[in-house]
Amino acid sequence: MATVGGVAGSVPGTPRAEPVGKPPPWRRFGNFARRNEENAWRGVAWVAVLLPLAALVFAVSVLAVKAWPAIRVNGWYFLYGRDWTYGNGYGAIVHTDGVAHQMGARFGAWAIIWGTLASSLIAIVIAVPLSIGAAFALTERMPTWISRPLGFTIEILAGIPSVVIGLWGILTFGPWLAHHVYPVIADHVPDVPVLRYFSNPVGTGEGLMSAGIVLALMIVPIIASTTRDLFAQVPPLPKEGASALGMTDWEVANKVTLPWVRSGIVGATVLGLGRALGETIAIAMIGGASLQIPHTIYLPFTTVAATILSQLDGALTDGTGFAVATLAELALVLAVISVGVNLIARVIVKRTGRVGAPVGGA
Amino acid sequence: MKTSMRAAWLTRGAIIATVATLALGSTLLSSAASASVKLPKSGVETPSGGTVTETGSTLMYPIFNLWASGFNEKFSSTTIQTAGTGSGTGISEAENDTINIGASDAYLSPSVVQSNPSLRNIPLAISAQLVNYNLPGVTAHLKLSGKLLSQIYQGQVTNWNAQQIASANPGVTLPNLPIVTLHRSDSSGDTFLFTSYLSKADASGWGTKIGYNTTVPWPAAPGALGEAGNSGMVSGCKATPGCIAYIGISYLTQTLQAGLGYGQLQNGKGQYVLPTSANIAAEAAGFIKKTPANGTISLIYGNINNGYPIVNYEYAIVQAHQSSSSIAKNIRSVLEWAINKNYGSDTSYLSQVDFQALPTKVFAQSIKQILNIK
Amino acid sequence: MTTLAAGPATRRRRASSGFWRFLTYLALVLIMAPAAWMLIGVLARAWSHWQWSVLWTKATPTGGGLRDQILGTLILMFGVLIIAGSIGVFAGIHLAEMARPNKPAGRLSGPLRTASDVLSGFPSIVLGYVGYTALVVGLGWGFSLAAALIILSIMVIPYIAKTTENSLRQVPTGYREGAEALGMSVGYSLRKVVLRSALPGIVTGLLLALAIAAGETAPLIYTAGFSNTLPHSLTHAQFPYLTYVVFSYWNDPSVQKHYLSYDAALILIVIVLLLLVSSRIIVSRTQRHAESARTTRTGKRLWPGRGQAVEPAKDEPLLGITGAPPR
Repeated sequence: MATVGGVAGSVPGTPRAEPVGKPPPWRRFGNFARRNEENAWRGVAWVAVLLPLAALVFAVSVLAVKAWPAIRVNGWYFLYGRDWTYGNGYGAIVHTDGVAHQMGARFGAWAIIWGTLASSLIAIVIAVPLSIGAAFALTERMPTWISRPLGFTIEILAGIPSVVIGLWGILTFGPWLAHHVYPVIADHVPDVPVLRYFSNPVGTGEGLMSAGIVLALMIVPIIASTTRDLFAQVPPLPKEGASALGMTDWEVANKVTLPWVRSGIVGATVLGLGRALGETIAIAMIGGASLQIPHTIYLPFTTVAATILSQLDGALTDGTGFAVATLAELALVLAVISVGVNLIARVIVKRTGRVGAPVGGA
Repeated sequence: MKTSMRAAWLTRGAIIATVATLALGSTLLSSAASASVKLPKSGVETPSGGTVTETGSTLMYPIFNLWASGFNEKFSSTTIQTAGTGSGTGISEAENDTINIGASDAYLSPSVVQSNPSLRNIPLAISAQLVNYNLPGVTAHLKLSGKLLSQIYQGQVTNWNAQQIASANPGVTLPNLPIVTLHRSDSSGDTFLFTSYLSKADASGWGTKIGYNTTVPWPAAPGALGEAGNSGMVSGCKATPGCIAYIGISYLTQTLQAGLGYGQLQNGKGQYVLPTSANIAAEAAGFIKKTPANGTISLIYGNINNGYPIVNYEYAIVQAHQSSSSIAKNIRSVLEWAINKNYGSDTSYLSQVDFQALPTKVFAQSIKQILNIK
Repeated sequence: MTTLAAGPATRRRRASSGFWRFLTYLALVLIMAPAAWMLIGVLARAWSHWQWSVLWTKATPTGGGLRDQILGTLILMFGVLIIAGSIGVFAGIHLAEMARPNKPAGRLSGPLRTASDVLSGFPSIVLGYVGYTALVVGLGWGFSLAAALIILSIMVIPYIAKTTENSLRQVPTGYREGAEALGMSVGYSLRKVVLRSALPGIVTGLLLALAIAAGETAPLIYTAGFSNTLPHSLTHAQFPYLTYVVFSYWNDPSVQKHYLSYDAALILIVIVLLLLVSSRIIVSRTQRHAESARTTRTGKRLWPGRGQAVEPAKDEPLLGITGAPPR
């Protein structure tokens, strides 16, 4: 009745009843936290997971807003044209469609976009076979005491900063290629129309081929370590069964292992492709910085990323702001290409799914 | 009640009066302070201390490094942070006020002046540009005219033993070597100077088709290479036999060490002139009278006897309205120190980069512009 | 009786298999050789002019040391660890723990995960440009540590989120079920049980993110600028870091700076190596744990990586069954 907890608490061995009234302040925070801890975790986690999406949307909107004047004036010529000129910086300012720009300014980015696509293509063509081959070598029948350190070295290669690779490329690798490899190729290539692209002049080592090889070196670790992990996850039973049936190692690899991991390799290749498309510093150092499509595969070129890096400050000298808007348009193009490639690859991986049912059932 | 209301009115009036006097007084004081910045007897104000950031022209980069050490020795409270990123960067970073002093070989374009009314280009020194080539075995200074260079850079002349080069250089054995043209890949004041020369010397050709700027659409010459910075031009030309490049005179020692030769360029009078200090001074002297108060003038291809044709003022690009008076004081101090003949423009500094000090009239104009930085 | 000798077809197949095996070894060599050449080349260039004083001398306009640049890179790494680490881990927790398929959060988790992956493939120079436009110029911060930290964190959050999610998914559901059965709240079980088990994987992800942050150049050029001295403020002051030294000093007029460029490359490689080796050690230490070792019916312990085949541990309730204590 009147004594709440009084009787119960005064008899030893009986539990105390709940106290009445508000708990003291120092307990209140603890209780609040305990009751709401789950909501706090959920709330913070929600905010955190929305941030990448918000950042992506923010980045694309900033680019679109900045690029809009240039998109209107440059039009489709931007995507197929080859003239890239800021116009007469020391001449008059003219207006097209209400947008001010320097007289004679004309921006066609096809040569630059081509550079990105070509260098990434070369990198993929070189890197994918090498990575798959190396992954095979590492996982099939190689003693652990070799494969572990070698695998680790490949992973280290993934972490080496691009500047360092670019430094080595421009100081050592590029000149070596230009003096010892390219002349050999160029002198022995038959004079057939398609292969003329590989003939002389061989340049100084700063060019499309050197950049492609260096890019390949950068994306090999990504593809190789992912592929190696994929190979390790292939269940041994189908492979052993195929071996028992008398298939050679190569046939096992070709008919059992590769189909099993095909979609995973596509995914890894796209990861590597994404890195190659966005690579800036190494290309800026070893690409040679020519705003035109090179005549031979050894000559200087440029990519979208390298152009943005090296031209941004120059673009700012255009007082009308048009050149900066054009660079924003270029950045938008690169963003669209890389996001597009990423999304297409995810669709491919989802569609093909887990290829290769377990051989022999189970 | 009445007394308290009157008291309230009086107090209010007193407050308003005090505030007004204070405001008037402070505006008078501040305008007095900003109206006249006086130069001390030494000619250089004492800086307020801190870091002054500079970026831009690679032509100016070596001298700015020397100035940074010298300035810090005299005023240990203030350091200059330098970088060589190209004149275009110097101009644009000064525009955005992300840097205190932008160094540029090129004066501001009309469009930049229009969108940035408080941006100034202040001449600091006189410099020149060389045309270098890598021809082992050729020790003579080749005679190169603006028209010839224009043809080479357009890919119309592709070999060193071409008839156009040989006829201008009788008696010199030219090798059978393809010409590899080097140009600047970054936004460069050197590009501005070189293309100004080509535009003036070949007005109907280069001048109409391509023009001059810190970045131009380089024509497709075979094997044309882009290099970053003057250092890139030197190392690129060194690695490429048969190259031709335009390099600032502050890199003369490096070009000689790299085994590159430099040419005699044809000036407005048709003479082939070597880039000696006398010839550079002659060219600059011919433009002193025409130099306007804001320093915006091209000294290239003048009609001056024995004047070397590619000569220019080196500019500091600065905002006249700075965000704080201490930053403004730092900048003024650095610039005054740099152009003062007893300090930064002493021969001990300038001779290391083959620059020349400003003539008296231009010096006075620069000081006037510097004192207006507030 | 049929003979067991190999017929011509078999010999051809075996020869072709041997040929392909040779090609795979060739591929391995073609990858290893340039990698080794590069590492040795950079090390040799740096070591030939190496002075230990480079580590603690300040940079001067014509040379000097790299003290502030090293400190700058370390500060950037630390800042990214705190900002991106906390956000990324929480994002990973959301994707792994709170996105159940039948709840509203689950339906959104697919697009959110896609957005995170797309962000990880976003070109870094474009992010740098956005940072320049929005933060350096737009907000008026100028080249600054603040702008650099924000952009670097945005770049790195997707990696941390992905590794956190993966390592959380590898924690057996039995742990969570057991914790719930014991009456632990979600937050408590997350803290004390789940995160603790996933910690090695999370730490690996963080170390990887640090390695990425240490090696970036392009976005930093447009958000941090460059400097020789550590500034005293988060904004309006350019920030020093090592990668710019490698990018631009190799061609500087001053020969002293060429050496600094190689030294900076060496220091960067050392930093990355330390991070990657640490993450490897963490991973191998935890793989050795009894958790992933299996005991055969005869009581023999099978360890992974010792030539004994072990199936990867799946979602198996392990609490008390193998006798292994929960982490």
